[in-house]
Amino acid sequence: MPPLLEVRDLRMHFPVREGVLLRARQTCRAVDGVSFTLAAGETLGLVGESGCGKSTLGRCIVRLLTPTAGSIRFEGTDLAPLSRRALKPVRRQIQMVFQDPVESLNARHTVGQTLAEPFIIHGLGTPAERARWVQELLDQVGLPRGAEQKYPFEFSGGQRQRIGIARAIALRPKLVICDEPVSALDVSIQSQVLNLLMELQQQLGLSFLFIAHNLAVVKHVSDRIAIMYLGRIVELGGADDVYANPRHPYTRALLAAIPVPDPRRHSPPAPLAGDVPSPIHPPSGCPFHPRCPHATDRCKAERPELRTVATPTGTAQSVACHYDL
Amino acid sequence: MSAAFYSRLSPDTAAKFRRFRRIRRGWWSFLVLLAFSALSLAAELLVNSRPLVVHYQGRWIFPTYGAIHTGREFGFDYDYEVNYRELQTRLAAGPGGDWVLLPPVPYGATENCNVGEVFKPRPPTWSGRHFLGTDQLNRDILARLLYGYRTALVFAVCYVALTYLIGVTLGCAMAYFGGWFDLTGQRLIEIWSLVPFLFVVIILRSVIPPSPGWDLWVLLGIVTLFSWISVSYYMRSTTYREKAREYVAAAQVLGAGPARVIFVHILPNTLATLVTFIPFTVTAAISSLTALDFIGFGLPPPTPSWGELLHQGTGNLNAPWIVSSAFTALTVTLILVTFVGEAIREAFDPKHFTTYE
Repeated sequence: MPPLLEVRDLRMHFPVREGVLLRARQTCRAVDGVSFTLAAGETLGLVGESGCGKSTLGRCIVRLLTPTAGSIRFEGTDLAPLSRRALKPVRRQIQMVFQDPVESLNARHTVGQTLAEPFIIHGLGTPAERARWVQELLDQVGLPRGAEQKYPFEFSGGQRQRIGIARAIALRPKLVICDEPVSALDVSIQSQVLNLLMELQQQLGLSFLFIAHNLAVVKHVSDRIAIMYLGRIVELGGADDVYANPRHPYTRALLAAIPVPDPRRHSPPAPLAGDVPSPIHPPSGCPFHPRCPHATDRCKAERPELRTVATPTGTAQSVACHYDL
Repeated sequence: MSAAFYSRLSPDTAAKFRRFRRIRRGWWSFLVLLAFSALSLAAELLVNSRPLVVHYQGRWIFPTYGAIHTGREFGFDYDYEVNYRELQTRLAAGPGGDWVLLPPVPYGATENCNVGEVFKPRPPTWSGRHFLGTDQLNRDILARLLYGYRTALVFAVCYVALTYLIGVTLGCAMAYFGGWFDLTGQRLIEIWSLVPFLFVVIILRSVIPPSPGWDLWVLLGIVTLFSWISVSYYMRSTTYREKAREYVAAAQVLGAGPARVIFVHILPNTLATLVTFIPFTVTAAISSLTALDFIGFGLPPPTPSWGELLHQGTGNLNAPWIVSSAFTALTVTLILVTFVGEAIREAFDPKHFTTYE
């Protein structure tokens, strides 16, 4: 059976325009050759620092952006070249939960209007039916009755994100791109929203592409994890394998940076030195080599491709590093 | 105002409206302007050479909005419209129960009130019902002011509507579609905004022949050719800002097309600020109409207009009642509109300061 989503060699290059005539002088390689697959009902966690291209990848898959190259096969259809009109039916299948629920809800619409909009856009139902569906959605995400008449500012951050989730599942999609759905929320309510997402996944058989920069959150929800660095996936594998046995030095650095709730631990591990290089001028060879403690001359010259490595459990894990560290 | 009224508005708008009402100067200015406008729309009932009611030989006649009644119908020896003031004097002197009820100011705006006499401005008289005097063509100034206000009001309303329609449409479209459309559009606007407005008005007014009934609309068209530019600049920048926000992305992910995104999402989020500009646009409309009338390139005579009155007044400074009434009317109106504008701006200001006492 083909996977639900198969992304192959996806590239999103933004022209950096300069001068009076806005000629593209340089390109920003936000996503630079990403390939992965996602099975039905699966959650793939996508982790990386700010600016590594993970949100751009998500926006390419929902086709808010038109990728420069590569293919996005969803149930066998390549979405990359489709026009806005041709995409419309596919939009029912792929939805998105945004990071900031204040920004992603129109402040001038009531919750009822926001949640009815998916049905209106796709011409589904009569006004009465839509009102009933809105009620069902509110029940599903655990919002009180009567919420449909209120405006977003009348809700707390967690409740607003529930509205965003309700909007995303309104059309019963198969795939939901969660773009940092909890990073704008208080820690105390992050877990509630995560549990809601996982419950909905069970009930509706959703697949998630879960974008985050918090490894603890991603581990909680993901079946598999992809680590992104400077527009590329550097490590991809089962969540437990990646956590137990990280192969890429970048993954190791990220895992080492997870705070440990232990008051007796005195010496924190040395954090990763330096910043993410600019995707306009990426380093030669392995993009991670300027920050890598193990870098050699080969790393500066030669770009490592993703290669499969053996795991103790026998599941697939791949890493983009020349060495078995 | 009733709770039902507020509940029909979005809470944001309702809060703004409440704040506007609490700024008393602006709110009262708004009510006074509203009253002026209502008066000017009912001008025929208040200031008119035609009476409200005529009772003549058992007939009831209401000539205000009706057909012309000739002098012969009332026993005079002429076939043009009867002079109701003469008729009133005659009927009052005569026997029988016939009478004429004239409006408080029984003069029309384009009427020579002293037929056959010398053309010269006459000072205000209470008994002659010329409360603000007459101008150099023996026309009642109060009548000309009130009808002139109505002209200015209609002009301002249409000016605002057209200016914002064009400005919002073009500004929004340029920002939403962006790219070459925006780039060329902006360059064309820059060229267009360098065209000297006054010369174009003078040239066009001399090329287009006066056509009674259409002059106001021709003038409106010429003036709005230039007035939409600043609105389009504003709309362009706010649309650029709004379209980058995530609620727009969310609508696009749901499959919303450009029309839906613009009209359902972007416009409602930008118009709130645009509303604060409207009173100042009204001020601009009234002053440009007055200015054009003053220099003689506005509405053709004998249209009642404030600019024309000001022009007469400055030419007849020995008849100060002309210039002072026109000047007062113009100043008061513009100040009231500005007060309303200030209050709206303050009510819509997102920054509210809390004071602790």
